[in-house]
Amino acid sequence: MLRFLIKRMLLGTLTLFAVSLVAFGMFFMLPRDAVATMCEKNCNAERLERMRDELGLNDPLLDQYTGYVKGVFVGRDLGSAQGGWCDVPCLGYSYINNEEVSDIFARVIPVTLSIVIPAAILWLGLGIGLGMLSALKRGTVFDRLAIGFSLTGASMQLYFVGGILLIIFVYTLKILPPPRYVSLWESPLDWAAGLVLAWVALAFLFSAVYARLSRAQMLETLAEDYVRTARAKGLTKSKAYGRHALRAAITPIVTIAGLDVGGALGGTVITETTFGIQGLGRTAVEAVRLGDLSTIMATVLISAVFIVVANIVVDLLYAVIDPRVRLG
Amino acid sequence: MSLSQIETEPGGLDPTAVPVAPGPAMVGRSPGRLAWERLRKNRTAVVSGWVMLFFVLLGVAAPLVELLYGIGPYEQFQDKIANNSLPLGYLGGVSGEHWFGLEPRLGRDVFIRLVYGLRTSLLIATSAALLTTAMGIVLGIVAGYLGGWIDAVISWVIDFALALPFLIFALAVMPTVTARFYGPRDDIDVPFRIAVMILLFAMFGWTGTARLVRGQVVSLREREFVEAARASGAGLWHILFRQLLPNLWAPILITFSLAVPGYITGEAALSFLGIGIVDPTPDFGVMISKSLEFIDGDPMYLIFSGTVIFLLVLAFNLFGDGLRDALDPKSSR
Amino acid sequence: MRTRAALAAAGAVALVVALSACSENTNQESGVDTDRKASGVIATDPKDSLGPAPEVPGAVKGGTFTILRETKISHLDPQRIYNFVGLNTAPLYSRFLTTWKDDGKGHVTLVGDLAETPGVNVNNDCKVWEFKIKSGVKFEDGSPITSKEIAYGIARSFNPDLAGGPTYIQEWLADTAAFDTKWDFKANKTSLPPGLTTPDDKTIRFEFAKPHCDLPFAASLPSTAPLPPAKDTGVDLDGAPFASGPYKLTKNTAGVELVFEKNEHWDPATDPVRHQYPDKFVWQFGPDATAQTDRIIADGTDAATLGWNGVATSRVAKVSGDAGLKGRTLLEPTPSANRLTINTQRVTDLAVRQALNYAIDREGLIKSLGGDYVASPMTTLMPPSTLGFKSFDVYPAGKNGDIDKAKATLAGKTPELVLAISDDSGDQEIGTQLKNNLEKAGFKITVRTTPADSKLDDTKKKDNPWDLYLDSWAADWPSGAAILPVLFDGRSIKAEGNSNTSFINNDAINAEFDRVLALDPAKQADEWAKIDERIMKELAPAVPLYADVAFYIHGTKVGGLYIDSIFGYPAFTRAFVKQ
Repeated sequence: MLRFLIKRMLLGTLTLFAVSLVAFGMFFMLPRDAVATMCEKNCNAERLERMRDELGLNDPLLDQYTGYVKGVFVGRDLGSAQGGWCDVPCLGYSYINNEEVSDIFARVIPVTLSIVIPAAILWLGLGIGLGMLSALKRGTVFDRLAIGFSLTGASMQLYFVGGILLIIFVYTLKILPPPRYVSLWESPLDWAAGLVLAWVALAFLFSAVYARLSRAQMLETLAEDYVRTARAKGLTKSKAYGRHALRAAITPIVTIAGLDVGGALGGTVITETTFGIQGLGRTAVEAVRLGDLSTIMATVLISAVFIVVANIVVDLLYAVIDPRVRLG
Repeated sequence: MSLSQIETEPGGLDPTAVPVAPGPAMVGRSPGRLAWERLRKNRTAVVSGWVMLFFVLLGVAAPLVELLYGIGPYEQFQDKIANNSLPLGYLGGVSGEHWFGLEPRLGRDVFIRLVYGLRTSLLIATSAALLTTAMGIVLGIVAGYLGGWIDAVISWVIDFALALPFLIFALAVMPTVTARFYGPRDDIDVPFRIAVMILLFAMFGWTGTARLVRGQVVSLREREFVEAARASGAGLWHILFRQLLPNLWAPILITFSLAVPGYITGEAALSFLGIGIVDPTPDFGVMISKSLEFIDGDPMYLIFSGTVIFLLVLAFNLFGDGLRDALDPKSSR
Repeated sequence: MRTRAALAAAGAVALVVALSACSENTNQESGVDTDRKASGVIATDPKDSLGPAPEVPGAVKGGTFTILRETKISHLDPQRIYNFVGLNTAPLYSRFLTTWKDDGKGHVTLVGDLAETPGVNVNNDCKVWEFKIKSGVKFEDGSPITSKEIAYGIARSFNPDLAGGPTYIQEWLADTAAFDTKWDFKANKTSLPPGLTTPDDKTIRFEFAKPHCDLPFAASLPSTAPLPPAKDTGVDLDGAPFASGPYKLTKNTAGVELVFEKNEHWDPATDPVRHQYPDKFVWQFGPDATAQTDRIIADGTDAATLGWNGVATSRVAKVSGDAGLKGRTLLEPTPSANRLTINTQRVTDLAVRQALNYAIDREGLIKSLGGDYVASPMTTLMPPSTLGFKSFDVYPAGKNGDIDKAKATLAGKTPELVLAISDDSGDQEIGTQLKNNLEKAGFKITVRTTPADSKLDDTKKKDNPWDLYLDSWAADWPSGAAILPVLFDGRSIKAEGNSNTSFINNDAINAEFDRVLALDPAKQADEWAKIDERIMKELAPAVPLYADVAFYIHGTKVGGLYIDSIFGYPAFTRAFVKQ
């Protein structure tokens, strides 16, 4: 178990290292010039050059890269134009927003979490619930409707669903406020009201694959010998299905769930764009558009961290849920 | 694949959702024949198949449609646009002349642009699906059969590709590549943009198929028929592509058929964010992203463009679903 | 069954939506006052610079005035402010050497703010200027504001760490664009830049190597805000400016909220323009233009609120069509002038440039921009808000352009031109519009998209490879001096960073610039309009397109708000909350 964990963590670190190199290279390939964006009305060549110097953009690439990595682990001095000493974990200074990237993150990560976590609960619950029920009621009208519903969801475009939901609930019926983010601690009701459409839209789209998958898994395990044995030995239907069948059926679902949630935590760009909410995704997109080095690095890295961690967690969960799986 | 970052459901691209390949051929009718008959009996699959075919034909025959309809995708009708930039009249300018109304601002015909949009969309989606499936098959078979360090490397590359945020990467690659290939006074060719998008999808999309195929190969490689081939001195190429591949066609076909709608959605998503296709080329993603701006004053624009892409993806998904049922009767019913 | 369920769901959705969309869209007059006449003077009577500002009819004290904005304000440090939101927020908490009295309809007077008058031109050669500081002006801690603190504020704008603000005064003092290398602020914190002196606590004196008659205008920008050296926190001042105006920043949640509360040390008797009606001004960041508009239409808790990002494009039809909202909107033309720049180094044939001017379809262009509530057409290089503006059209071609006239001017030529457009999605539609428009007249247009930010930078390079590009210019003060010489004086062309993106260099025009710039600012106004017409007629270096239109909506309890005539954005000096 421990050996497995260490091995996965090492591989994960290697992945993150490679991702950081790609993000860094990406920035320097970009045909964009952040300094030109910052340099306002009375800009001239000398000033541009000096700003590049100050931001360290004229240093050798390797120095810039190691400087950034060093900042993450031990902190670093960013110079007087960028707010001086930057504490561990120093994600750098966004010269577009004039603040440390960690301050930006403190603002946008709660937003992304508020979108993804409730949405994930909703889509997992809806998907698995529908799937299991239709497996048990195989061949009935309910079964067909459930599959039809989930395929409809899977065929929808998020921005289309989002747009329709907005038209109906916000502009026509006016029972919901325009989407916005209010801190959960400030007002749980406003928090939910502002984000519920995003949750519903995401859940509608994402639940399809879970419904489909859990139905297939359930059907397969129901036919397995040990479930039949359990039933034959007189276990009630709910006990046999609940304790034995469900457990085995859920394993592969965890894999996809891990990947989906991990990916979504790295930024729900389209959801955020459709509903006009500023989370990690839009921040990342804007950073690339404006060539904001530190923010690009930090957003790419954090979404990679989410995915790598999600992968490890999934493997661990495997062992917990299904004793047959041995890690090694 | 890490395309989940574009918040679309890539259908059957997850390996676990696809059934294990049926064993070697049984007596009697071939499994292909059996599957075909099951497919034909599935009414949903047949209907969606026809709808799919209709869309494909419409896209292919777009210039012919233009000829019959009498309006081109780039023609502007600004005299039918009011000074608040929305189309004059009811329902976003729907009339006998403009069946689906006009685009706000520029005043182009929505119907003919959707027909041409089908073309762009299907071209990108099918090419991307073909390319990723091919890459996935080759890498999956190699990794699964050879194992060892090759397997380790390929598996790590898959993990790596999954960890890269696709959208951010695409956003960075598009302008970089175009700036490298085109002079500052050249128009960036539409086919070139399309090619870059297909390549982008290929770079990220092969991982799903590769994982799936690898898993299948691992479970097949110790089977008797493979060992028999090995014992009789068959070459590596023969074992990989003559013995193993024919046993994988069912899951591959299903993956492919469900990948196409995934890429239709993916392409629209990229263009929605302004990364992929750009104005004036007709495209679903561009149209929907524009239409959201007018959702309050001219909702019909969103409804027409959104509904067409929905029906297109739905047809593909239903057909792919039917195909899965037909190829693997165990999974449903 | 599956198909049917799916189709039924889609059908139901479509029906609901379609029902909500059944109203006819028609042409309506927007009522933007595009012909309003700007007028302006520099106050000669010191009484004009005295406080208090006249009471706003109906104004009451108290309440909280809220402003919504999508993104945070990039700088609060007065020396670093240069964007419109900063320029119009700064007067709440900062005072400057001079400022504008403004009726919100284009009638402006430049008066002294901290200074008793808008400057004294000591030798009448615009090289030496003196400002006397008012008595009784104080910082938020009650300490008096003297010429020393104002001079220190100007000195710290030489600090390269504090870049971002305007650079007129620095460049004029140092007589070079590389002002911060000529005088190193960090090494000379206790002294002042060359040419800047404070003979006594009440006097600040500027001595320039060359005449700069625009100094009183330049001194109205926030970079002349005072700061005691002891309170200079460097880059951190951006998060906590030291107030000299009627409000002070009491809470700053980075990127989320700013709260300004009354500064009791501000004395209305010294201030000719500002008021102190609401108890608080609160900025909230986050909601985009659409969300802002919706919240404000709904009123309720947002009754004392303004959406800084204006009426969202998606809501223009709704807001403009609803008579009930009429009293809650502000609709004014702004001084932001947009033109299609012609690179005259490449397009050397005057007839081609004139043909472009004949061919342009301004009405179609404005429709593709979002309509009359977004832009109003323009046929001159200077926007109508410029002092002394005269309306003329050297190439009369009607609202939609005159294709025949353009063809006749081209005389059979089919020039192949490359139009550079930024890759912002909105701009691409404009590229399409212009291409279709101009190709009707026989041009061959290639639309080349380039990344939004580098396009700005690249079109300013002398050897840029494009023939046409969109440019906009918002002058820092409404004088032709801040527009025409900046954009069309060929002697200032350098390798990159040019504002003269047409790259014209005409000796006769350059000489005219020199002649007019040396005139008394009050006498310049009429001359600029004449030069404008002459440039268009003789050189046609650009196609004037449109001026931006400001369209805002506010809550029912908002009073005293106006669109300022200098920058064209909502101004808060007279704002109050109705009770």
